Amino acid sequence: MHLNVLHRTPSDAVYSIFKRQQDLAHSFNLKTTVFVSYSDLFNEEVVKDAFQYEREFGDEIGLSIHALNGPGVSKIARTQNCIWLLNASAKREVLDIILRKFREICGRPPVSVGSYHFDSSALRILKELEPGVETVIGGCFEEGVRVFHGCNHSWYLFNEGMPWNPWYPSQSHSLRPAADEKDSSGIVAVPHLMRDMTLSYEGRNDFWASHPPNVIRGMGNDASFCPYDLNLVDQFRMQEEWNDGYSYYNTFVSASWLTWNHNSEYPPEVAWELYTKQLRYLGELKKSGEVHDSTLAEYGRWHRAYRPVGQPEVYWAKEMLYGSHKHYFWFIDPSRRILIDATQGGAVGDLRPYAGRVPVATGPDTANREIASYPFLIQSQHRSGNAHHCQDGARTTLLLSNGKAELDSSFLRSKIAAVTNTAGEASVTLTPAKFQFANGLKGELTTRHIFLPQGQIKTERTISNLSDPQAELTLTEYFKGAPGRTEYPEDMHGIRLGIDGNPKRQMEFDYSGEAFESVAATMVYAEVPQTRTRIELATVAGEAKSGAVKAGHLFSPYFTLFLTQSLKGNGKIITWTNLKNIEP
Amino acid sequence: MDQSEKYRTLMRCPVCFSRDTDVLMVPEAGGHHYCPKCSFNGEESEVRGMYRDIQKKFHWMTKRFTLEEQRKL
Repeated sequence: MHLNVLHRTPSDAVYSIFKRQQDLAHSFNLKTTVFVSYSDLFNEEVVKDAFQYEREFGDEIGLSIHALNGPGVSKIARTQNCIWLLNASAKREVLDIILRKFREICGRPPVSVGSYHFDSSALRILKELEPGVETVIGGCFEEGVRVFHGCNHSWYLFNEGMPWNPWYPSQSHSLRPAADEKDSSGIVAVPHLMRDMTLSYEGRNDFWASHPPNVIRGMGNDASFCPYDLNLVDQFRMQEEWNDGYSYYNTFVSASWLTWNHNSEYPPEVAWELYTKQLRYLGELKKSGEVHDSTLAEYGRWHRAYRPVGQPEVYWAKEMLYGSHKHYFWFIDPSRRILIDATQGGAVGDLRPYAGRVPVATGPDTANREIASYPFLIQSQHRSGNAHHCQDGARTTLLLSNGKAELDSSFLRSKIAAVTNTAGEASVTLTPAKFQFANGLKGELTTRHIFLPQGQIKTERTISNLSDPQAELTLTEYFKGAPGRTEYPEDMHGIRLGIDGNPKRQMEFDYSGEAFESVAATMVYAEVPQTRTRIELATVAGEAKSGAVKAGHLFSPYFTLFLTQSLKGNGKIITWTNLKNIEP
Repeated sequence: MDQSEKYRTLMRCPVCFSRDTDVLMVPEAGGHHYCPKCSFNGEESEVRGMYRDIQKKFHWMTKRFTLEEQRKL
C-alpha cells in the first residue's frame, strides 16, 4: 500500500505540536510532506525547520492553499479561507501572490499543493500560473450534506460524488476522473484523508476517516483504545486484492486536533496517543514491506507512471464499527461512480453519471456557487431510498411477482460473495437471498452486476431452488431516479421519458404523476439534461414482456423506469443498464 | 494563554450529537451546561453518561479486525 503522511504548519495552534508530529513520524521512519501556508512563508523559524526536514529526512515542502491571510492576500480573500469559493479573478490574484512568495522563499515552485478542494477553475489557474505543480490534495470524499448538518450548518464544503482514491481530475469537473489524457487537467489529485467507505455514505465522512482525532470526534474510541483506526488501515490494504495489487492511504492530522479543541471531550493526551498508535502501525507495516511511504510529489510521479488514466477501480466495503455485517461495493471509471448496497438486494444506492461530463466551477461568479459535488441520478440516503415512511425515493430494485403475490428485493438482505476486476471489466456477485411469497412459494435470488466500459452494466438475476419448479415469475427491474446535488429536490423539467415497445412512446416529465406502459418493450429510458445523460434499461427482444415509465409529482419528484421479463421455473434474466452522454 | 485552553471546559450537547450534530454547550457556574440549539441542559457527569449511551450503538468499537480477519468478515 502506498502511504503519504501529511502535515501542515499550524496557523492557530502551538507550533511545538507540529514539531512533535514531525518527530513522531520520523521516529517510525516515515517521510512526511509539510504543507506551509502563505503566512508561514514569512516566518523564519518555520521555513528554516522545513528545509531542515527536507535535508535530514527527505520530506517534501508543499504549499498549503488554506488560511488565506497575509500581506496582499487578506484584502482579497476578506476572511474567505477557501480558494474554490473565491471568484475566478480573486483565485488568480491570490494564487499568483502565494506562488510568487513560495518561489521567492524556496527558490523553486511547489510540486505539491494542498487545499480541502480545488474546483476546476482554481485547478486550471493554478496550473497556468505554475506548470511545475504536479500533485494536489483535491477534495474530501463524500463531504457535503451530512457534514453541513453536523457542523451546525456552517461548513460549506460540498464534495460528494468524487473518487475515494487518487485520480486524474478532468478539466471540466475536478472531482470527475478524466476519461483520457485530453480530458485530464494534467495533475494527479489525492483525497484529503481516506474515508470509511460504509459510514461516509451512511453518515458523516468527517467522523470516520484516516485521522484518529476525527474518530474521537465521532466518539468511536474508548479513551485511548481505538482499534477502528487500525481496522481502517487494513480495510484499505485489503483492496489490493481487486485492484491489481494497488492500494493507497494517507493521513493528515493538523496540530490543532492534538490539543484541546471543540471536537473532543478528551484531554489532548488521548488524541496524541491514538495518533501515535496509527503512525506506529504504519511504520511497522513499512518495516515489514507492506507499506511504501513517500512524499506527495514522489507518489504523484509514481501514480503518473503506473496508473493509467481511466482505469476502473473497485472497493469492497465491510462495515466494522456498528457490527452490522453490512457489505457495500463501489465501482468507479470515467463513465460513472456507483455504489451497490448488498443489504438491499444489490440495489444502487448512489449513482454519479460521469458520462455526462457536467462542467462545474465554484465561486460567487458561477451558478454553482458553493456546490462542487458531482450531480447524482440516485442518492438513496439524501433521497429516501426504499419506502419506510411515505413513498420510496431514488433507488433501484428488482420486483418479483407470482400471481398476485409481490416481493421487493430491496428487503432481501445479502452480502457480497465475490468481486472481480480485470481487463477493464469488474463484477460483484451477491450471496443468494432466500425469498418467500405470501402464497408460500419459496426460492433464492442471486444478483450479479458486471461493469463494462462505456457506461454499460449487465445485471444477472438468477432464480434457483424454487419450491415449485414450474412456478411462473414476473421480474421487473426498477429504476427510480432524480438528478440532484444535495438532499433538496431540483427542477426536473426538461427530462424526457420513453419506451421502445409496442407502441413506442415518449413523454415529457411534467410533475403530472402520469405513467405509460407498452408491451414487448426492449428498452425504457430517461434523458436527463441536468446530468447530460440518458439512462436506459434494456433487454433482448425475445425476453421482453413489458416496459413502463412514470413521471413523479411534487410530493414524489422522481422519474421511474420499469422493465419486465418473465421466467418459468428456475433460470436467469439479464438486463442492461446503459449510461450515455447527451451533451447539448 | 494558549487559545485552545478555552476548550478545556466545553462539551458538545449529547442530544444534538445523537443526531450527528456538533453543538457546543455553554458552561455555567457549578458545572452546569446548557445547549443553545436545543433545550437540553445538565451536569457534566450526566453529559458524559449520555455520551456512553450514544456509544452503545458501536457494538464493535473495541474489536480489532486484522487484514486476514477482514477478509472473512
